[in-house]
Parts: sequence; C-alpha cells; structure tokens
Amino acid sequence: MLRYQENNELHRDFHGTTNTTLNYIADHYGVDALKMILRKTGHDVYKSIREKLEKGDASELIEHLNWFFYRERGKYQLTVSEDEIVFEVLECPAIRHLRKLGLEPSQHVCLQTSEVNAGMCEGTPWHSEVKVLEEGHCIQTFRKEPSHDTK
Amino acid sequence: MIPSDHFVRFYNEVFKFLDERGGLQSFFLEISRHQELHCLELYRALGIRGMYEYYQKIRKEENCDIELELLADGHGLIIHFKFCQSLAKVLNNDAGACPKYCLHCPGWSGPLDRKAGFYYIKDLVDLLKPECRTWVFDKAEPAMEKYLELCRSGIGERIRVNFPVPEKERMV
Repeated sequence: MLRYQENNELHRDFHGTTNTTLNYIADHYGVDALKMILRKTGHDVYKSIREKLEKGDASELIEHLNWFFYRERGKYQLTVSEDEIVFEVLECPAIRHLRKLGLEPSQHVCLQTSEVNAGMCEGTPWHSEVKVLEEGHCIQTFRKEPSHDTK
Repeated sequence: MIPSDHFVRFYNEVFKFLDERGGLQSFFLEISRHQELHCLELYRALGIRGMYEYYQKIRKEENCDIELELLADGHGLIIHFKFCQSLAKVLNNDAGACPKYCLHCPGWSGPLDRKAGFYYIKDLVDLLKPECRTWVFDKAEPAMEKYLELCRSGIGERIRVNFPVPEKERMV
C-alpha cells in the first residue's frame, strides 16, 4: 500500500518548477549538492518504501512506479521477478511536459530518477541503476543482492 | 522522475538545504522568474481577471479548497486558501516540514505580481496550517488601506507585501 495516496487532479507544471530547481541548485551549489538533496528526498520522503525494501518487500516500490507513471500517462513497461525489478520508461511524462511548455530539459533531469532511486535503496539489500538510452527513454533496474536474502 | 504529485515534498527538501545556507530568498526570485512563463502574459493581458483565471486552474489542478472573490469594481481579488494542498502534503510527509515552507508563496508571487502592476498582501495566518489569505489590487491606495487595516488588527507580523510601506506604518 502506498504511503502517499494521490488520486485527484495533477498539476503537471510542477515538472517545470522541478527543472528550474535542478538547474538552480546545480549552478549555485554544485551537482554534488543537488545529488545530496535528491538522495535525501529518496531516503527520507520515501521512508516507507525504503523500510519495506530493508525487509525484502518491494511491493510499495512496484506500486509507486506503476501508479505514478500511470497517473501521468507515461509509456512504460514494468517487469518484476523475485530479485529484480526492471522499469523501462519509453516516454518520460516529465520530459514530455517540459517540451510542451517549451522548456529545455535540464542536463540534470535524470538525476531525479537515479538519486531518488538510490536514496530509496540506501541501507537495504537493493541496488538501483538507471541507463538513459535517449531523451525520455530509460531503463531503471532495482536488483536485490543474493547475499542479503531475507528468507 | 519525481511525480508531479510529490514535487512539493522535494521542494521542501530544497528549502531545508537553502535555509541552512541563507539562500531561500534568491531561490524564490528564480522561481518567480520561472512562474512568469505561466502567469505574466495572462496577468498583463487580463489584469486582475487574469489572476482569477490562474487561481481557478490552481484550485482544480492542485486540489486546493480556494475561495476566490473578484471585487465588484474588478480591481481587486481575494484569494482565501481554506485548504492548501501544497503545505498539507509537506506536513503529511515522513521527511518533516521545513518551518519556512509557506514563505515561498509570497517569495515568488510578490515580485511577479509587482511586474504585472499588482499590489500584493498576504496574511500567512500560521506557517504550520494549510490556510492563508491574499489580497491583490491593481491600484496602490486600496492595497495600502488593506495593509493598514490588517496591521491595526494586530496581525502585522503575519503580513507580507510587495510594495513599499512607510516605516512608521510598519507594525511588525
């Protein structure tokens, strides 16, 4: 079950504000500071997902990926096995909306994904990886270390 | 991607970071410039009614309970956030709220409204309650009158404006 239940209207223009924020922090405080904030967001905001991952339960992470990309009408494919979750984003809703607004996606736009995912996995048996194939197309992988099998 | 649903919880983390470094105000100005994309042309073209239209969109898309009152003469707007979803989400958050979260609103709206020729008065009410009131006028006199009225009612420390206020009138 998701910690943050969101079922109502969407304000997609927040993707534009995120984009501006990513650029601002990177330009004024450096990319490492931006990574730190994003990772902390993943770690602290998504505490519930992280704590479940610690116990070997990826159910909220899976629901999170599926629900929020579905809500934003993203095109994606989610493949789940016992120790691996592969989430291929075929069309990123955030980048699509930035283009619609006439904004250039920040060069740091994909750090949102890689660092937040890493923050969710911090201190758990799971590791995340993001491969960006082209603009708006990436493969996010979450893999559980066999040595940390909680069974 | 940070879902647009969760943007404010990321924003809140950014505010915590910036507040520790004294960097909030400069960032709010950057957001204000960004928001020009969504608001400035609309405000300049339609005046106060443009702002009314913008907040109708916000009411719907951000799932807020907002009472909008366009003054009869068409030169003022009262925006009463009876339930601000933005702060509500930040409070409903395992990461905890930045105590200055609400300040981003006057931080970006004030300068943008000024560029549009509007006089902005915000009663923050309580930084930890998702409720606030804003008065916007396209003339200086009613704005100053409203500001003084609010200060005289003893809530001056809650008020933010985007226009110069004579020091002797400032009751904060």
